[in-house]
Amino acid sequence: MLAGHVLAWSYALLLLLPLYYLLTTSLKDNAEVFAHPFSLPGQWLFDNFADAWDLASLGPALGNSVLITAGAEAITLALAFPAAYGLARSGGRTAAVVERIFGIGFLIPAFAALVPTVLLAIELEMFQMQAFLILFLPATALPLSVILLTQFMRTIPAELEESAMMDGAGRWTVLWRIYVPMSAPGVITVAILNFLGFWNEYLFSLVILGPDPELRTVQVALPSLVSATMVQYGILAAACLITLVPVYSVYVALQRRMESALVDGAVKS
Amino acid sequence: MSTALATADKRRTTLSNGRPAPPARAAARRRRRGWGPTVFAVPALLWYGVFMAGPVVAMFVISLNKWASLISPHEFTGTDNYRRVFDDPAFYDALRNTGVQLGVALPLMIPLAFMLGYYLQLRPPGHRVLRVLCFTPGLLSLSAKAMIFMGMLAPEGGVNGLLRTAGLGSAATPWLADPSTALAAVILVDVWAGIGYTAVLFAARLASVPDGVYEAAALDGAGHWRRMWQVAFPVCKGFVGVATMLQFLWTLFNSSATVLMLTKGGPGTSSTTLSYLMYQRAFLQQDVGYSQAVGVLLFVLGLAGMVVIRRVLRQNY
Repeated sequence: MLAGHVLAWSYALLLLLPLYYLLTTSLKDNAEVFAHPFSLPGQWLFDNFADAWDLASLGPALGNSVLITAGAEAITLALAFPAAYGLARSGGRTAAVVERIFGIGFLIPAFAALVPTVLLAIELEMFQMQAFLILFLPATALPLSVILLTQFMRTIPAELEESAMMDGAGRWTVLWRIYVPMSAPGVITVAILNFLGFWNEYLFSLVILGPDPELRTVQVALPSLVSATMVQYGILAAACLITLVPVYSVYVALQRRMESALVDGAVKS
Repeated sequence: MSTALATADKRRTTLSNGRPAPPARAAARRRRRGWGPTVFAVPALLWYGVFMAGPVVAMFVISLNKWASLISPHEFTGTDNYRRVFDDPAFYDALRNTGVQLGVALPLMIPLAFMLGYYLQLRPPGHRVLRVLCFTPGLLSLSAKAMIFMGMLAPEGGVNGLLRTAGLGSAATPWLADPSTALAAVILVDVWAGIGYTAVLFAARLASVPDGVYEAAALDGAGHWRRMWQVAFPVCKGFVGVATMLQFLWTLFNSSATVLMLTKGGPGTSSTTLSYLMYQRAFLQQDVGYSQAVGVLLFVLGLAGMVVIRRVLRQNY
């Protein structure tokens, strides 16, 4: 057991070390980073944050990331919610096949389709347009969203729906009045997972939108601070911290839900 | 479309019996064969087909074409791209690097994560703090992780600073620019973040193992080591298989972004993985056909790996 404590906390230390380095570096200039890499900053250089904001045009980048994440999230939920309802409420063979397709889709990494997706964007005349990313990203999230929501909706008793239909309610009414409120916890789980996926997405944003500061997302703006000549590590660290703020604010606000969402995303799929 | 299918279905029922089937049986049949509420899944299915399945199929087609840059015309050349890939020493370097990457990352990550998951599940003092720490890297984006390690591994960065303070200055090296350590740096980023996240998953699965199972083993005098590997592991083997499969796919396909930001595949080809080779040939060297031939091989490798992992880590009790 002692060995267990030692091993577990040494890993914890290994996790903390780079994060501590990131925090302290964000307040130093290069000379101090190089001379005293792990000491607390002698003089707290908050200017790094302002410089990072300007140099990487983080203002527009954050706006773009919010727009793309929110748009893709809305489309994903609008598609996955009715799909999950349909699959959860029909016990037929067609439904089993469709569910199987999403199950296999979950195992196909989006990266496999990187190049043809760019060609598709060119074909649709939507290359270097944020709209394409908003349309495309939901496809990467649909399999997991549908699988998780379907499992959740199976736990909602079918009698509720049957008695409502007996009273003359249509499918859409049932969906809107019974399923939306009752599956809120499942929807939140899926929404959190998709938020993380969309906000953190890097490669597709890079190849679809390109380096244009007016279009690019924060994840693409951040590495742009690494220039061939001389990296300002303090400014880079400050920019890195700025891009982490949205995700960590959500984490602090919804810690339990976010942790169980991340676990469900892997365990239940 | 659904109504058409349902009507066709009804007609078949009528014909096969020679007279209309009783309504209850017809409805049951429709539920079994027809679309029913499954029509609600059609938009999602179409969306997935257009934006994911379509491009994946297109990859196979593109790999059979001569196709230079993304916007240039193309012509069918059969297996010519594959021949060029198999004649290219860079491909074998990338294959070897991917092999090393998988061969180091998975055997390191999965057992350590399982042990840490077992430890977390015992709820030792401080396990809540440990759990939060384990989750932290799971929330970081690829670019944030790459930038953190870029700082840590720079010639004047944190790692070399630590080495010099410890009096090991001679071991300091420009980690990302040294051909013997560049690939290791890329692997390190994945393992660093992956152990904690996978451990939390294992802890969640282990929590559903009934306490009685451990108690019986404890009565037999089994210590934690034996309880972990001879009781907990066999019970969770299937789940360990699923987690290994997800980490395998992640490592195989998603290292390209880390490589792109940290080392650009270099120096030389020392840190070029297969997924980075695919990215590089398509977007940096204007050879889309070659890139997609690599993509197809990567896809096949992914399938083969999943089959192997399934065989090895199958629930067998």
